[in-house]
Amino acid sequence: MTLFLRRTLPLLLTFLFGVAFAVQYYIPHPVSEGALTEISIWLRIILGFAMILGIASLCQVHYAKIRTRVAGWGYSLVVYFSMLITVAVGLWARGQETGTGLGWIYTYTLLALQGTMFSILGFFVASAAFRAFRARSKEATVLLVAAILMMFGRVPLGEYLVPAAGPLAGWLLNVLNLAARRGIIIGISLGGIATSIKIIFGIERSYLGGRE
Amino acid sequence: MRELAGKLLRLDRRAIFVLIALATLIPLLYPVGLPIRVSPEVRRVFDHIESLPAGSVFLLSLDFDPASKPELYPMAVALLNHAFRRDLRVVTMTLWVSGTGMAEKVVSGVASEYGKRRGLDYAFLGYSPGGANVIINMGQDLNAAFPADHYGERTADLPVLRGIRSLRQVNYVVSLAAGTPGVESWYVYGKEKYGFELGGGVTAVIAPGLYPFLDTGQINGLIGGLRGAAEYETLIGMKGKGMAGMDAQSATHFIIIGLILLCNLFYVVAPGTVVRSFDGPQDGPGPSTGLRTGSPQEGQR
Repeated sequence: MTLFLRRTLPLLLTFLFGVAFAVQYYIPHPVSEGALTEISIWLRIILGFAMILGIASLCQVHYAKIRTRVAGWGYSLVVYFSMLITVAVGLWARGQETGTGLGWIYTYTLLALQGTMFSILGFFVASAAFRAFRARSKEATVLLVAAILMMFGRVPLGEYLVPAAGPLAGWLLNVLNLAARRGIIIGISLGGIATSIKIIFGIERSYLGGRE
Repeated sequence: MRELAGKLLRLDRRAIFVLIALATLIPLLYPVGLPIRVSPEVRRVFDHIESLPAGSVFLLSLDFDPASKPELYPMAVALLNHAFRRDLRVVTMTLWVSGTGMAEKVVSGVASEYGKRRGLDYAFLGYSPGGANVIINMGQDLNAAFPADHYGERTADLPVLRGIRSLRQVNYVVSLAAGTPGVESWYVYGKEKYGFELGGGVTAVIAPGLYPFLDTGQINGLIGGLRGAAEYETLIGMKGKGMAGMDAQSATHFIIIGLILLCNLFYVVAPGTVVRSFDGPQDGPGPSTGLRTGSPQEGQR
């Protein structure tokens, strides 16, 4: 019974739903469309529970860090503290942001912190460019020249100084970049299809967990 | 010369940080306002909105969080300005929970500038969990995906959504995305099945990856990065944050180009200088730059 619940039933459900909804795409019958509507609601409910799982996992990881006093365990305390405060204020504000403490936390902490984190990247990129972006090989030289042309051609000052810089950067994006990206996308898509088929037919079973 | 090059390569990285900060701040305080060339991919988004008759349904999905605000927020402002000027029925939403408050602010802010009324001229549906599944759900039944808008009003009762049962009745969708779910999700799960026209607005990092979709017509136009926002502002004749940021971007790009060229020049002059600022034990906050001088072979690592 345990084996049935742990292995056979998930494999059976995966096969049934996988085949049914691959075929559904090609059948625009009202019954088929109704099934898709229903399943799309189910999926969203299941993903809602995944959020609970995520929060539980986050709490577990940070609790372990605090318990074992690993380096930087104080930050884990900050995670707990911030999360609890935000949840408490959010419940107090009944989920409303306008003119409430929740809106204040969002605007003056989350928004500011996330914006700061991302903007710091600009400084590190400049520092890294100075120290590490070197023409050490043919490939690195191609990358370096392409990067300089893109940075030059994608800003008004570059186009003002050399009017051909903008169209040249556009050509790099629309021809060379496009060809490379298309190859990558086709490769990823074929890989995705192959993996899906393997999962549907039970060849790929890693999603069942290690004890499968 | 070799000694000088070595010294400059060992420059404290905080000096570079100061240089970048000045290159950003000075143009923001004293803008030059260089002309901005409009690229065809941005113009196509503009042209499509221009071609829509008043009352057409325009769905703007603000799929980003505060980290991407500097690039995508100006795009949202420009697109909303354009849509409200054209008297389109504007429906907005987000697939990113942490972007909800920001999205609400930009939508209600621009709408109030045009005297547009919530529920009547525009709607903000807010966030609904499920990522790409929300798109499928909206394609099947919009009211099931969003039974109520962000403010708790029943979507079935909103006059702006009258006659819109699913994504099939939407004329144009633009996703302003900083990742997944974003433009690709809207194409794969939305446009492919429900047949609406789709445009994209993304951060500069993501934009190069979407050019194949642009070339095949899977998306009809693409607004890339702050530059794209500035181009769109140029098209609608608006002086927004996109244009204001372009001078700063010009200056920082030129600083970075200069640094790259200098770095390569110094390595030619002083080939033995090794930089350990990224893998060395001294790579942390503080005055040390983590640099040392070693053999040329070590420098090639």
